[in-house]
Amino acid sequence: MGMTRRDFIKKTAALTAASYVGMNLPFAKQIAEAGAADADTWVRGSCRLCGLGCRVELGLSGGRPVAIRGVPESRTNFGYLCMKGMLFYKVMEHPDRLTMPLYREHKDQPFQEISWDAALDIAAKRFAEVKTQHGGNACAYYGSGQALTEETYLFQKVMRGGLETNNVEGNPRLCMASAVGGYLTSFGADEPIGGYDNVEKSSCLFIIGSNMAEAHPVFFRRIMRHKLDNGDNVKVINADPRVSPTSRIADMHMQFKPGTDLAMLNAMAYVIIEEELYDGKFLKDYAVFKNADGSIDLDAFYAGLQDYTPEKAAEICGGNITADMIRKAARWFAKSNGTVSCWCMGINQRKRGVWANNLINNLHILTGQLCKPGADSFSLTGQPNACGGVREGGGLCHILPGHRLVKKEKLRKQVENAWGIPEGRIPPKPGYHTIAMFQAVNEGKIKAIWINCTSPAQSLPNVDLYRKGMAREDVFMVCTDIFPTRTTELANLILPTAFHFEKTGVYGCTERRSQITPKCCDAPGEAHAEVWIVREWALRMARELNDPVVEQCVKPFVGLDEDRDLPKAIWDEYTQKLTKGRDSDLTGATYEVLDQMYDGVQWPAPTEEYALTGGTVIKFVRGIDPMADTHAKDDKPLQFYGPAHPDKKLWVWSRPYKGADEEPDAEYPMYLSTGRIIDHWHTTSMTGRVPELLRANPYSYVEINPADAARMGIQPGDMVEIESRRGRVEMPAKVVEGPMAGMVFAYWHDMHEDRMINKVVKDAFDPGSKEPEFKICACRIKRLSGPKRLTPHVVEL
Amino acid sequence: MPIGGFIISVAPAEREEIAASLEAESGLDVHGTDDKGNIVAVLETETSDEMDARVLALEKDPRILSVGLAYLNAEDEIEKIASGELPPGSPFGRKKKPRS
Repeated sequence: MGMTRRDFIKKTAALTAASYVGMNLPFAKQIAEAGAADADTWVRGSCRLCGLGCRVELGLSGGRPVAIRGVPESRTNFGYLCMKGMLFYKVMEHPDRLTMPLYREHKDQPFQEISWDAALDIAAKRFAEVKTQHGGNACAYYGSGQALTEETYLFQKVMRGGLETNNVEGNPRLCMASAVGGYLTSFGADEPIGGYDNVEKSSCLFIIGSNMAEAHPVFFRRIMRHKLDNGDNVKVINADPRVSPTSRIADMHMQFKPGTDLAMLNAMAYVIIEEELYDGKFLKDYAVFKNADGSIDLDAFYAGLQDYTPEKAAEICGGNITADMIRKAARWFAKSNGTVSCWCMGINQRKRGVWANNLINNLHILTGQLCKPGADSFSLTGQPNACGGVREGGGLCHILPGHRLVKKEKLRKQVENAWGIPEGRIPPKPGYHTIAMFQAVNEGKIKAIWINCTSPAQSLPNVDLYRKGMAREDVFMVCTDIFPTRTTELANLILPTAFHFEKTGVYGCTERRSQITPKCCDAPGEAHAEVWIVREWALRMARELNDPVVEQCVKPFVGLDEDRDLPKAIWDEYTQKLTKGRDSDLTGATYEVLDQMYDGVQWPAPTEEYALTGGTVIKFVRGIDPMADTHAKDDKPLQFYGPAHPDKKLWVWSRPYKGADEEPDAEYPMYLSTGRIIDHWHTTSMTGRVPELLRANPYSYVEINPADAARMGIQPGDMVEIESRRGRVEMPAKVVEGPMAGMVFAYWHDMHEDRMINKVVKDAFDPGSKEPEFKICACRIKRLSGPKRLTPHVVEL
Repeated sequence: MPIGGFIISVAPAEREEIAASLEAESGLDVHGTDDKGNIVAVLETETSDEMDARVLALEKDPRILSVGLAYLNAEDEIEKIASGELPPGSPFGRKKKPRS
């Protein structure tokens, strides 16, 4: 009584926050009795931004989103959210949303609104023409770790089974392909063994190549909380050439020259063997040693580390690295009751990204810091469905759904039979990986490309080179998106899509966890869910090509309602037919089960009964992971049944130190690295349209070490030029003890032509994972002027 | 006027001092602290633009380790957007009418 609505909402906000930390507030009873009057309906789903998979509830009033809150029961975030996540609903209401199909025959023409019938006919006709005249491999799909699993799965099905090409790629190639390569070659199976909950059980956290305080703030909070609660009993090591907000909780910050971490990691392995800190029984039971020539033994592995004594490595690494620091880090790592390593793009976006992953995994295998509570080698992902949709759903050129390799005939046949298409329909050769795909676009080998939910015209390295190809008049380009982007600028056909909570589907986050988000709002205008678009496109293309196999790819889904029945049928086909018996078994994770779960299901989850427990917390452990029992080869407690290692062992790799593809020299004397800022997501096509987020960081800027700034006469706020052999940009300077001397760090979110840093970044890529080396190249810096008024920019139609 | 509920984490020994200084800030109410260094706070601002700026300022405070968000209600602002009173669109001065 007497409580105003604003008082009510403020008290609700306080109670929600207090409930997360078990704090009792005096007005709890009063608010509980008043009931939830802040929203008519709360709908549970996942956050749209970043790969953590935080669970949120969207509050609707009269069908419009009015509030958002975390889900305290969720084991991903326990209710906590970040500001970026909090404001994503503003994207839904934005007036820049694409609402009608837009078409132009020639790329120098303005776009015209057209009907869906006309748009789908054009897309079908043009792809059919290209296939008929140039073959299926002249067609391509480039997707996203932000697309729902159902979307990625259906796109790749139509491309492979219908258009007979494996030219299926996606932006996860740019962010986590090296982690995939590392997991497969070290553990024999993709994706982390454990999950987030290892943090609270750990005694040592080794954070390398990750600024999680800005890129994964909710996960960083868990680590911060664990450190704060346990003080000196938990050691946090942050290894990074840059001092970042993540470093502030570290007991030790290891600052090394960019790219030299391979030497540092080898030196830690050297100390672990030299000081006999390794777990001999774990190694004997579960591991073998390998080098490029084949199997070796521990002695030969140790011999290969003689170039990386702590003293030698400290010389290679530079920065603040000393031999004593390396020894101390290795001891903390090996002796702790549980060590979790966490890394992200600093390790993956490298010319030797797979090797860097292997060397982290080596430390865990050597010390037995795996498959037990508080111990894991844990790669963080940047996008909400890079794992679920792309890694698991067959969204890359060399993999089919269910972690199957394209090149294996037996596995191709399994997929063809599941789809009811003729054996031999899926080509045996993998398609173009991302950089090769856009090189092929440049060369006119790809003549029709569909780009879904991503903006390669801004996100590719050395981007101007590839924009030329996308701008070719003889390359027909379709974009499905919610906003205009740098890529839609180069398209012939733009198809408006539904956004998160405007369609139903599943995201699979970093810790093998699949979570559903249901539709609860209507998409604006005539925007449609991608699954509807693909189905209708494929049906028209089947007629154009007079090819019943194309129709067969979508036949099981004809006539189904796009809001729920269509994505559900696609999910059912994928999980029941193509994950059953695979290491990513999601057979038990039906929509009905996912609907019930606060926080989804971690695979493997072979039955609904098991999935309802939440699934597998730690892989490979008998009694915890059901597949460790069904795939056991002996009576040992751990069973490494992954598909990539026939010997079912963990592999410790001897990998030499190799530097970056392009090291600084007399002409370009500085290292350039790039990364994400807390308020922005990727290319800012979404967050750049949320004024609150944009205004916090309206422009990219470049961080310069004070010593370098003084040497070059650069003051805070001055405009500087960053130039490499590929291109140049201009940005304001921030003079800060962030990057080490000799290195600059630029934020990459800005889509203004003058500040798109990917024009400067090199497109060298890892020979194994094909992931580009965004994180290191050589550049030079020049002061241009004092501070200058700048204009923020997002692409308009 | 958006309203947000937060857990602000600080070093436990400093929590009371920091809570007191936060309480002195306009629009910010501290509802409690605990011995782990958690401060439960509610922030009310004129716009979510201001909310974000305030949160950013808190995150940059060297005494504050983390600002965890638990709840955000922006119904007033959304109603204004829906009625056309507050065009949500371009932060750059373009004026687009909201969709009906």
